[in-house]
Amino acid sequence: MYGRKGYQLLKDFASGEKGQLKPFNSKLFDETIEECDQNHHLMQSLMRKMQQEDLDVQNSRNADHYGALIHHLSLMRNKRCLMAYVYNRAEIVRDLAWRVGLELLDLPSEIQEKLTSLEKEYFKNHSVTLKSYMGKVGIELNVDMVPPKDPYIKVRILDDIDEGIVLSDKTTNFARHSMHFLKRTDAEPYIARGQMEELTD
Amino acid sequence: MSEICQRKSKYYDIDDILVEEEYVPVLFHKTANGVTIDPSAETNCAEQGSKVEVPFWLAHELQLRQAVSINLPACFDQKTRLQVQADAAYVDLRSRCPYFYEFGCKLEPLVTDRTLGILLSTAFKIRYKEALTKVYTAAHITASKYLSFLTKEETNLYEAAHLSSTAFKKWKTGGRRLERASILGRKRKDSN
Repeated sequence: MYGRKGYQLLKDFASGEKGQLKPFNSKLFDETIEECDQNHHLMQSLMRKMQQEDLDVQNSRNADHYGALIHHLSLMRNKRCLMAYVYNRAEIVRDLAWRVGLELLDLPSEIQEKLTSLEKEYFKNHSVTLKSYMGKVGIELNVDMVPPKDPYIKVRILDDIDEGIVLSDKTTNFARHSMHFLKRTDAEPYIARGQMEELTD
Repeated sequence: MSEICQRKSKYYDIDDILVEEEYVPVLFHKTANGVTIDPSAETNCAEQGSKVEVPFWLAHELQLRQAVSINLPACFDQKTRLQVQADAAYVDLRSRCPYFYEFGCKLEPLVTDRTLGILLSTAFKIRYKEALTKVYTAAHITASKYLSFLTKEETNLYEAAHLSSTAFKKWKTGGRRLERASILGRKRKDSN
């Protein structure tokens, strides 16, 4: 009970692949908050006991004080776990915007399922901020994540992509397994999402 | 001041939080009422003079307030030390403690044992060298038994070395430069 639920929550987070999200664990999250409430309740009753004995709650160091202290420390520990859980997930959400795409709908559905509605909101706001910043400096910052070598690359289509994708120099329909010679900057976001792959020969 | 900055930057660090959950034996100098951390106590409290195992984060805070004193946990005992002396590279440190080094470093200033630091640095130097050698000489698959002995910290170093060696080989031979974003995880098998 002393910081245990918070620890379990973080163990759940750490048990996923590094840098990847698992679905938000609302059950453990709520249980951690419940544990905090229990600690708070017990701490208050110990402090009330001290007051009833006419002790100076701030400065007396009796057995009740140390009991209340342990409950307080446990509460702070759980708080730290909750904060770290949300913080580290937010970091991954920001990473998704940079590495995969700025539109929520561009994210594969299995990733979208793992986000809470608040996290989706956060993703959208983060994308808006990024786009506005990139507009102001006049550079697309999320392209050329790997130093470019050739302006054109050969790709193979892996997924069925919607018809009529507009590229910078043509409009084509992309059938699965077809191969194309595309501008690197056009292909880059599709490759990042796993919808195309680069061919090197 | 810089210590405060350091503490702040580790606040959200998952590994730091997990390390501090490791249990340490403490001796209570004061009695604490209304807590159930001592499973052997008959009443709802931890009596002065009782020996209890508590998580490091709690032990540390209580020691700062002189309510307990911390003793060295079992993972740093004589048996481990003898094994490290004999053949440090192949001791199963992960089963002793998955965060052997981080945990040891946190304990070092708080316990009376002055040889803990030497144990950690000796073990690490020998094992680090062995891990790097393994990256370049052993295939990833045959090294799997060895990898199960490594602590979390050592595993991170091993994987970093492995990644860099793979990247170097790829750069030498040429290969795909644009890749599916690693954050998306492994590809699902094709459904048809």
